[in-house]
Amino acid sequence: MSLHDPAQLMDERRRLEGLGLSVTRYGGAIGLIGLVLACLMGFIQENGMDRFFFVYLTNFIFFLSISLGALCFTGIQHVTRAGWSIVVRRLMELLAANVVLMAILFIPIIFGLHSLYHWTHAEAVAHDPILQHKAPYLNTAFFLFRAVIFFAVWIGLALFFLRKSTEQDESGDYKISIRLEKVSSWGLFLYAMTTTYASFDWLMSLDPHWYSTIYGVYFFAGSAVALFATLSALCIGLQKSGRLTRAITTEHYHDLGKFLFAFTIFWAYIAFSQYMLYWYANKPETTGWILRRQTAPMLWVSLSLIFCHFFLPFFGLLSRHIKRNKSLLFFWAIWMLVMHWVDIYWLVMPEYVHQYGEIGAAPFGLMDIFCLIGFGGLYAAGFAMWARGRSLIPMKDPRLAESLTFENA
Amino acid sequence: MSETNKQLYGYLVEFDNVDGLVNAAEKVRDAGYSDWDCHSPFPIHGMDDAMGIKPTVIPWIVLCAGITGCTAALAMQWWMNAIDYPTIISGKPFFSLPANIPIIFELTVLFSALTAVGSLFALNGLPQLYHPLFTVEKFARATDDRFFLVIEASDPRFDLEKTRQLLESCNGLSVEKVED
Amino acid sequence: MVTAPYTREIDNTQDDPRVRAPLVTGDNDFGSVTNKVCSIVEDPRIHRAWLIMLAISVSFLGILGAMISYLVWEGVGVWGVNNPVGWGFAIINFVFWVGIGHAGTLISAILYLFRQKWRTSINRSAEAMTIFAVMCAGIFPGIHVGRPWLAFYLFPYPNFMGMWPNFRSPLLWDVFAVGTYATVSVLFWYVGMIPDLATLRDRAKNKYRRIAYGVLSMGWRGSHRHWHRHEVAYLILAALATPLVLSVHSVVSFDFAVAQLPGWHTTIFPPYFVAGAIFGGFAMVLTLLIPVRHFLGLKEIVTLRHIENMNKVLLFTSCIVGYAYSVEFFTAWYSADRFEMFTFLNRMFGPYQWAYCVMVFCNVIAPQLLWSKKNRTNLYVTMFVAMCVNVGMWFERFVIVVTSLSRDFLPSSWGMYYPTLIDILTLMGSFGLFFTCFLLFLRFLPAIAMAEVKTVMPQAHLDRGHHRGAGDYHGDIPGAHKVEVKAEV
Repeated sequence: MSLHDPAQLMDERRRLEGLGLSVTRYGGAIGLIGLVLACLMGFIQENGMDRFFFVYLTNFIFFLSISLGALCFTGIQHVTRAGWSIVVRRLMELLAANVVLMAILFIPIIFGLHSLYHWTHAEAVAHDPILQHKAPYLNTAFFLFRAVIFFAVWIGLALFFLRKSTEQDESGDYKISIRLEKVSSWGLFLYAMTTTYASFDWLMSLDPHWYSTIYGVYFFAGSAVALFATLSALCIGLQKSGRLTRAITTEHYHDLGKFLFAFTIFWAYIAFSQYMLYWYANKPETTGWILRRQTAPMLWVSLSLIFCHFFLPFFGLLSRHIKRNKSLLFFWAIWMLVMHWVDIYWLVMPEYVHQYGEIGAAPFGLMDIFCLIGFGGLYAAGFAMWARGRSLIPMKDPRLAESLTFENA
Repeated sequence: MSETNKQLYGYLVEFDNVDGLVNAAEKVRDAGYSDWDCHSPFPIHGMDDAMGIKPTVIPWIVLCAGITGCTAALAMQWWMNAIDYPTIISGKPFFSLPANIPIIFELTVLFSALTAVGSLFALNGLPQLYHPLFTVEKFARATDDRFFLVIEASDPRFDLEKTRQLLESCNGLSVEKVED
Repeated sequence: MVTAPYTREIDNTQDDPRVRAPLVTGDNDFGSVTNKVCSIVEDPRIHRAWLIMLAISVSFLGILGAMISYLVWEGVGVWGVNNPVGWGFAIINFVFWVGIGHAGTLISAILYLFRQKWRTSINRSAEAMTIFAVMCAGIFPGIHVGRPWLAFYLFPYPNFMGMWPNFRSPLLWDVFAVGTYATVSVLFWYVGMIPDLATLRDRAKNKYRRIAYGVLSMGWRGSHRHWHRHEVAYLILAALATPLVLSVHSVVSFDFAVAQLPGWHTTIFPPYFVAGAIFGGFAMVLTLLIPVRHFLGLKEIVTLRHIENMNKVLLFTSCIVGYAYSVEFFTAWYSADRFEMFTFLNRMFGPYQWAYCVMVFCNVIAPQLLWSKKNRTNLYVTMFVAMCVNVGMWFERFVIVVTSLSRDFLPSSWGMYYPTLIDILTLMGSFGLFFTCFLLFLRFLPAIAMAEVKTVMPQAHLDRGHHRGAGDYHGDIPGAHKVEVKAEV
């Protein structure tokens, strides 16, 4: 291949166009219907709204984690001056911009605080010295204030990344890359702090007595898995639809696969560290949370995490031939997305069982499916809306040529 | 060693840049030679293709070693702590899988790493302190800044004249005979 | 030994995203890189500065030997360890030295997987540092066991007593983790060094050098069929060393974190220890490399850009460490556990407040200087920050070990810890061992991975776009200006 090839590589479709419009339309419609159905089921059933809010939170966190993973890795690409990833970076920026949608979808949770969080029950706090101690942090007003801050930081960063990058599509000004790099450096620090405390607030405080310092890292590890699974699947899907057929090559899939593999291991490392330390010290304050997850009905969920979130994908993604094979990579990407959903379910639902006593079977039913479809539809619609009028790759990024001709050693 | 005892080892051609060597390698590959090699001070990207080298089996050997290490570590800890010499410590079960994971991991890595290096040496045939090429004075620069291609006389296609012509057509700095 | 005591400082730290800066500056080709690196080893003169430094290091090594002999003769009572602080300097030094080693593995393995080509200039010396640091680390638990001549009891070997070690103990995990780490580090270092040892063999002017380097290089002759396997094996070692380095300091952190002691039993310890280890290790790499590049005339190979990149890693890991401190602190309050809360307040305001302040200043505050590029490219500021971190990371371990042990659950069993002179001299002696090894390494082994540095020079790349890998653009991005966006189909 000679030097003029990068230019030829660009000869392809790289906008969503009509597809975007239909995704917005149908995705949005399906999404609303799904959520309304799930909510209706909650209304009909006895105490169903409590269950609905837990199901809602599970799916909310699942999709939020994809966007947060994307936000983090967009920043990391800028700050490390990455070359290989330019052709997939716009997709990450678009996924990250979906935090705006997630901020809107956070509103229903506000109405569900009483169902979700034990510490909002004034009568419970009155009899619980530990909750009284935590009241300066765990109270509704401060909780909502923090949520506003979290979303402000994420939306600010995500829109800045997307806007500046799109601006570069027009002007080709290389100084934009430098500015993005600078903002990313401290932006990542803000990201780390906000994401950690968001995971403390929204997930860890479901059991307000329990605590784990690694929780934020655990949530981050899951988000990274979610991002790379989504991104791999998204790229393959877009190529199937005849877009970006030349820009994204086997080499990029190989790298996405490596990241998916690496974060699958990283997740296992963090999960093991948390589990083993609490198992070993065996203190009543901290083992209750784990006990709820390793006894029926959640035992099988926990075991499925060990085997299907780590062992199987570890061997599945180990070989470079698999990472470089689109169909196999697509399979494992979807697999990991499913397992990431199970992971979030595992974080949230045992607390529902604990609080509302539905012992016997892990709660899963039509409501979960409606809710998942609802969120999925809205998330896809949101993505398509952000993509409207934008190229799916940063067309004038100074490192685009490097990315287009990139090869793994 | 007297003159008459010397055997022909092969032809050596020298280059002073990467491109020359890779182009020559492609030519030699296409001519169908099998007993030949390139020598360079550093690994050159694209050389595997140019020489038609097949992927090595090292990763598979290492995978087997890793699985062996993993199993051995698990079996060792189980047998020693739960079967042969059970002791009660901090109320843990004799066979405590979570507490066994670190050593399982470490031995997996240890077995794999030792095997990776061992199989590297074995497959490369190292250590091999003498080699006919070391008798060529300018070959010393193969570890410095020069690039060499050698076709061995043991190659079935080796022919004193034709091989020489092929190598001369590669535009190297020089072509010379190497004797053992 | 010093051939070029002074070379020009060339600024290659430009941020222009349109070009990748060259990683080897100046007017260098393959031959000149070989010359620059090999001449350090080949110079027949023995430089006075080197000799003086070696003499100092060896005398400290002698102190170490004397202290260990005294300890073995008299017993552990010569140290400041007492009840309740049964783990004093020995464990602090152990964790400190193992941590130092981690930066070397990060550079050689993790940066390799991330295709950070700038690692090639610094990986050899950083790996050497790893090995020497692990040697220093290994001494301390060995001499702390009370009867060091029975330290082999740690290994599961068949014996007449019919006993086996208790594998459920984190201290035994350490034996396996550090043992594996030392082995893999040496293998990685040696495998990477073989081609460079061959270079030294081929340049050797006398018989003994030729035989010595010849045996060490195992008859390496740069065959591409060998290179092919070499690269695969090297990649596998990197892929193994990456989780290994995470596991080693995680296991070290388990020593503390599995206990119920307040301040120790916290789940963020594993990743936090790993980040801290890399943080401290990078500071040591900078401490070593800034003088080395100056005195050995390697400024064109270990360039200002390398220093700046390392400073960025330092800043990044400092932020992680700061994050961990803050999350720990918050969770201590959030846990509503009285003992947890007390421990953290005690760290801040208790008798070891000064150590806590040193730790926070050195690890969190001082590295903030590195947000400015001017500081990152200023060698004096860099050296200051690196020194701070070296000190700060030692104190971090001091704070963790001593504050938690000295004041745990029951006030009646509280007690202060004071190191003895023997403790302090042993620590200083370990630096003697470390620097002796490092100085000998500089004199007798190739301090720069020549073969790897050559691969990142523009001359090493084929003049065909097809074969250019991601990091291969350093010094030039061919055809970058030719990318034009065509109208959409």
